[in-house]
Amino acid sequence: MTVQQGAFSEGFVEADGFRIRYMEAGQGTPVIHLHGAGGMRLTQAHTLLSRQYRVVVFEMPGFGASPVNDRTQSVSELGSTMAGAVSALGIERCNVIATSFGARVALWIALQEPERVLALVLEAPAAMRPAGHQPPSGTPEQIARQLYAHPERAASMAPVDPDVQAKQRALVGRLRGPDRDADLEARLRDLAVPTLVLFGTLERVIPPDMGRHYKTLLPNCQLVFIYDAGHEISTDRPEAFADVTADFLERHEAFVINRKDTLISP
Amino acid sequence: MKVSYFETGRYVAPSDMPREWPVPSGNYDAAVGTEALRGMVERVKFVEALGFDWISLSEHHYSPRILTPSPVIAATWLAARTERIKIAMLGPIVPVSNPIRIAEEMAMLDTLAPGRIVIGLLRGTTNEYLSYDLNPTEARERTDEGMDLILKAWTEPQPFGWQGRHFQYRTVSIWPRLQDPPPPTYALGTSAEAGEFAARHHIGLGVSYGTFEIMARATSYYRERCAEYGWQPGPEDIIYRANMILGETDEEAEATLLRRDRQGAFPVRPSLRDALLEADIKRNVAGERRAQPVGGVLPISFCGGPDRIVEQIRQCREEVGAGILDLSLQDPGTGDTDAMLRALELFGRKVLPRIREI
Repeated sequence: MTVQQGAFSEGFVEADGFRIRYMEAGQGTPVIHLHGAGGMRLTQAHTLLSRQYRVVVFEMPGFGASPVNDRTQSVSELGSTMAGAVSALGIERCNVIATSFGARVALWIALQEPERVLALVLEAPAAMRPAGHQPPSGTPEQIARQLYAHPERAASMAPVDPDVQAKQRALVGRLRGPDRDADLEARLRDLAVPTLVLFGTLERVIPPDMGRHYKTLLPNCQLVFIYDAGHEISTDRPEAFADVTADFLERHEAFVINRKDTLISP
Repeated sequence: MKVSYFETGRYVAPSDMPREWPVPSGNYDAAVGTEALRGMVERVKFVEALGFDWISLSEHHYSPRILTPSPVIAATWLAARTERIKIAMLGPIVPVSNPIRIAEEMAMLDTLAPGRIVIGLLRGTTNEYLSYDLNPTEARERTDEGMDLILKAWTEPQPFGWQGRHFQYRTVSIWPRLQDPPPPTYALGTSAEAGEFAARHHIGLGVSYGTFEIMARATSYYRERCAEYGWQPGPEDIIYRANMILGETDEEAEATLLRRDRQGAFPVRPSLRDALLEADIKRNVAGERRAQPVGGVLPISFCGGPDRIVEQIRQCREEVGAGILDLSLQDPGTGDTDAMLRALELFGRKVLPRIREI
């Protein structure tokens, strides 16, 4: 069953007994996206990436309009469910983009089935957090100022229903785990999947200094700062996000080699 | 109050030199240029002996008025030939430069002369955008982003990439790094953007060539923004670069002021100046739009005999809040180096001992 929404079509897929919603657009190598604690939202970055890739944006079970998820016991289990959802779409190998809370889920997918993950892009990942880290809080305006460098660019997005927010917060609170997960981090040392970690220079939720821990732990990791972006990089600077992400997905570590033409006239 | 001497590499231009910027390179006299640049050492040793705290250098191009297109080369030369005085680069022009190069050169110089360098990051005067072919409408944004990138290159311990608006790097990991603690660093300018940047990054602010009242608007804005970011800058976080005419008496100083050229030394021609000003639309003082003087004569902020100058410096401290005065004694670009040295000597003898407690 699909419903059109812009260029993206809505669909549902079954995995581990969950009925999982997704939005899909584009053709080519699959790119799946796992959202952050605030739930699934389409951004211009998805549209830009869908020009080159088959983009599948999942809504993880317990988020959005889906029923309360009190079955999933851990992020690794959630990773296993989401890998099942990918399989159910007939996708064997894919790129994985994950945002904030979604980063730990994505890392677990890569650890459980490394041969299926072509490359990982972690947007403002919350998989490693400073001790005592608190998620954004306050009025919607205060939260927006913590999430975005340019809240006005998020203004067109529909506000999330308070009941949905409460449901999602409870689920994230249950699954977010310790600020530093020693077991996960020990495993990351052997994860060969090419990984790109992105942090905005105006990040106010997770200190962007955390980026260096990914760079140190992961054997095949690139760290890139997105200038003038906050936590929600793909909303603050969708073109920059899509540009660096697409380049990395295409070339992996060779994306450090400049191939921009500077010839003015022959 | 600390005091800095602004060294310009004093090229003595003959009176028949073309007066328009850019000044034809063919008019350059190698012997005069060599004396001008090599003479920097003697002048800097002179002010070091007088008790000056810093000397400063700036980046300007295509004219004999200020002969230091590369302040970092001048700073390196001077650091190797002097003992104590701090050398402030005020500064490399960020929007026309490779920010990583600036970060590396500053770190290298800081390593060669630990504790002796001061770094100012500058947007630059509008005509300098012609020198390296920069679109003036992009200068503001390139400066802000370039400064951000320089600070990141200095502090991030892991190799990183930078996806900016105007700069893109995929691999940055500079060697050598800055000393610990790092050298004093300033954003230079009166704009809201400079004040905001300096406040956000806990660095100093340098302002120049305006009345106390206008400079105070910029420094007040900076202090307000610092308060927003939860810190309070001290006097040494604010540099004020200004011209001073110092005489033995007030009357002598005023007579010098009257003899002063009404014309800048090597101005851009008026039609080009106007086109430049029209293109460089983002100039402001603390957010209020204000065009930069281009090619005009820069104001004299201090004028008088020693007593009056001390009072003016006290007033400047109160109004502008600056703890570091970066001075051109008499006029830069006039070529009268002897008059400048006499004024510096007088300043060291009659003024400097009386402003330390201000």
